[in-house]
Amino acid sequence: MPRGYRSSLTDTLGRRLSRRRALQAGLGAGAALAMTGMAGLHFPAAAQDSAAADVTGDFDWKRYDGATIKVLLNEHPYSDALKANLQTFQDLTGITVQQDTFPETNYFDKLTVDLQSGQATYDAFMLGAYMVWQYGPPGWLEDMSPWIQNASATNPEYDWEDVLPNLRTSDNWSLVVGEPLGSGGQYALPWGFEANTVSYNAEVFDKLGVKPAETMDELVELAAKLTKDAPGAGYEGMYGIATRGARQWATIHPGFMTQYSREGAKDFELQNDVLVPVMNSDIAVDFTDKWAKMMKQSGPANWTNYYWYEVGTDLGAGKAAMIYDADILAYFQNQPGGSASAGKIAWHTGPKGPDGSLLTNQWIWSLGMNAKSQNKPATWTFLQWATGKDHLRYAALEGNMVDPVRRSIVDDPEFIDKMKGNQNFLETFNAIIDDTKILFTPQPQFFDATTLWAGALQEIYGGADAKQTLDALVEEIQQATE
Amino acid sequence: MAAIEANPVLAEQEERAATRRWSVGGIALDLLTIVYFIFALFPLVWMLLLSLKTPDQLFTTYFRFTPTLDSYRAVLGLDASGSVPFVRFFINSLIVSFGAVLISLLVGVPAAYAFARYQFKGGESLLFTLLSFRFAPELMVIIPIYVIYQRIGLFDTHLGLIWVYQLITLPLIVWILRSYFQDLTPELEQSALLDGYSRPQAFVKVALPLVKPGMAAAALLAFIFAWNSFIFPFILTGSNAQTVTVGALSFMGGATPRYNLTAAAALIALIPPLLLALSIQRYLVRGLTFGAVKG
Repeated sequence: MPRGYRSSLTDTLGRRLSRRRALQAGLGAGAALAMTGMAGLHFPAAAQDSAAADVTGDFDWKRYDGATIKVLLNEHPYSDALKANLQTFQDLTGITVQQDTFPETNYFDKLTVDLQSGQATYDAFMLGAYMVWQYGPPGWLEDMSPWIQNASATNPEYDWEDVLPNLRTSDNWSLVVGEPLGSGGQYALPWGFEANTVSYNAEVFDKLGVKPAETMDELVELAAKLTKDAPGAGYEGMYGIATRGARQWATIHPGFMTQYSREGAKDFELQNDVLVPVMNSDIAVDFTDKWAKMMKQSGPANWTNYYWYEVGTDLGAGKAAMIYDADILAYFQNQPGGSASAGKIAWHTGPKGPDGSLLTNQWIWSLGMNAKSQNKPATWTFLQWATGKDHLRYAALEGNMVDPVRRSIVDDPEFIDKMKGNQNFLETFNAIIDDTKILFTPQPQFFDATTLWAGALQEIYGGADAKQTLDALVEEIQQATE
Repeated sequence: MAAIEANPVLAEQEERAATRRWSVGGIALDLLTIVYFIFALFPLVWMLLLSLKTPDQLFTTYFRFTPTLDSYRAVLGLDASGSVPFVRFFINSLIVSFGAVLISLLVGVPAAYAFARYQFKGGESLLFTLLSFRFAPELMVIIPIYVIYQRIGLFDTHLGLIWVYQLITLPLIVWILRSYFQDLTPELEQSALLDGYSRPQAFVKVALPLVKPGMAAAALLAFIFAWNSFIFPFILTGSNAQTVTVGALSFMGGATPRYNLTAAAALIALIPPLLLALSIQRYLVRGLTFGAVKG
């Protein structure tokens, strides 16, 4: 039986990481975690008493009038909407918000350095739900459950239950490696998210008389047909399907992981209390081989260099007939002036699994609080406003903050009206939302494991045997965690 | 021309050069040079093209499009879409890069002179310590510097960046200028001393003017390195002291890539080092080769 991740948190962090692993991790949170582990530190976040308990009496937006907090933001339409509405918050509370915005390319390096330094330069910050698995165990993130539950600290209209259940769950973790999401602390608040679906150029589909695929085999056939027929139908240079293909963790999490899960495959399994990678199961091998061959046959010529931007811009420029990626990636291309294909893009759930599964993986931009913040009450006041109904409704209607994390906004007639120009966007959203969740197993080596996984996918794309490559991948992941 | 005709040696050289130029080897060399220039300059040309395109032309056109200066207007904040304060980042870069080079010159020139002229205990170790600042990856030292800067209030300040940039600029200036001072014969300063100059006067009035080309070359190189630094300003600044290298990336955007804006920002950011290089061009060729023969 192959050795795997240990499911005990203490064991995991107490083990020595190999030199190779530490070098691979570099400045990333993996190294930060390793350093924390090697220093023999435990996990204050899990044990600490929350500062939320100190807030008593009636809730008052003006309670922290005069306070100043500092927020770290990523360059993104979500943060654009926040900045556009920030004066509203400052007028409401008297709290000054200083914000630093950095480009996404290096955003997490910046955040990791600050959290690792323990300086608490930033009281609050944007983070993805996957980052909770790395920033949570060292105790860098404030558990916000006590704040949400404290009626003295949280305004009565906050309505936490209005946040879509799977999103709440995604930022909610016990900090125990391999243990499912949905219990333990609320280490971040969902802010905006993206579900991974198929988006396509409806004009091309109409002209060729084809419809979105309902099964994986149909998807392979459809992509091939589009590659073959679209150029002859007036779409010179168009190919069938774009997905991400770079050697990077983000290649795995959108369309690939969504369809992988729908087909019934998993990333890890708990076997005798040990977390074991299973990317080489029969189902996984079959699907991965099929995916790689589809991309070889019907994808872009330089697929192994495809990131988020390339996938989106190829759909927008009319080079890709369809993409299997974040729904909002196509949404941005579909806005007036957004691309040459603006107004022509439509959405579909993507192929169902053999059992009809519509499991969908998601990325969630969330807001977190620094566990070492010296301004926790004022920061919580900001966070509850930024994730509250009023601001998120403003951001969805006036900005481009889709997908909304709150049910009340998804159902808001004005929002529905706004989304009418995006063919089947909301229909697709509503069809998959109950099955949209994080489909990976929570564990701190997530980024390294998925990067290796993307490397294996590239090898198979290059002609390597799928079974042998995925066996080697599993072995490599196991060795990397020894 | 008249001089060539009057001078048979020059005329012979000119004739030989003309013969070489039209030989197979000469033509091949010219072709290789042209290929190299195309290879070296094409990225710049491509950036220029990108910067002149509208967003919808970015991915649908190569060379044939309707050019516009909208990207430059947006980058410079002259229209409503200019959400990134690039002009401020640009000014920040000017302040910290010039500031860093100025301080490095003030400290580094006398230091280089001392290393060249005096043998003192630990001199070589000190010199290699300075050089080691260039060996050490910035990522290795960034977290301790970050913590220190937070504690002493230098985070996100011009002074903080000027200080940390000494790790980049000071070793360059000391090492380059040391070899220039070593190339100067000590007799020049000794003559000045015999004429009644003090040692500092001999340094300032005799040695320093003679290494001006070297100072120009070293200062330019140091400026370019400081100007292009990414990790230090990325980690050690917030919104206040952010520089162009970090700020230019902000134009990429989270939703769709705005390569036109990024290209325009990068081309604008190219201007100061280019102007500086052109303005001290007459020193450069001499300066870059002057100290090359002495280790």
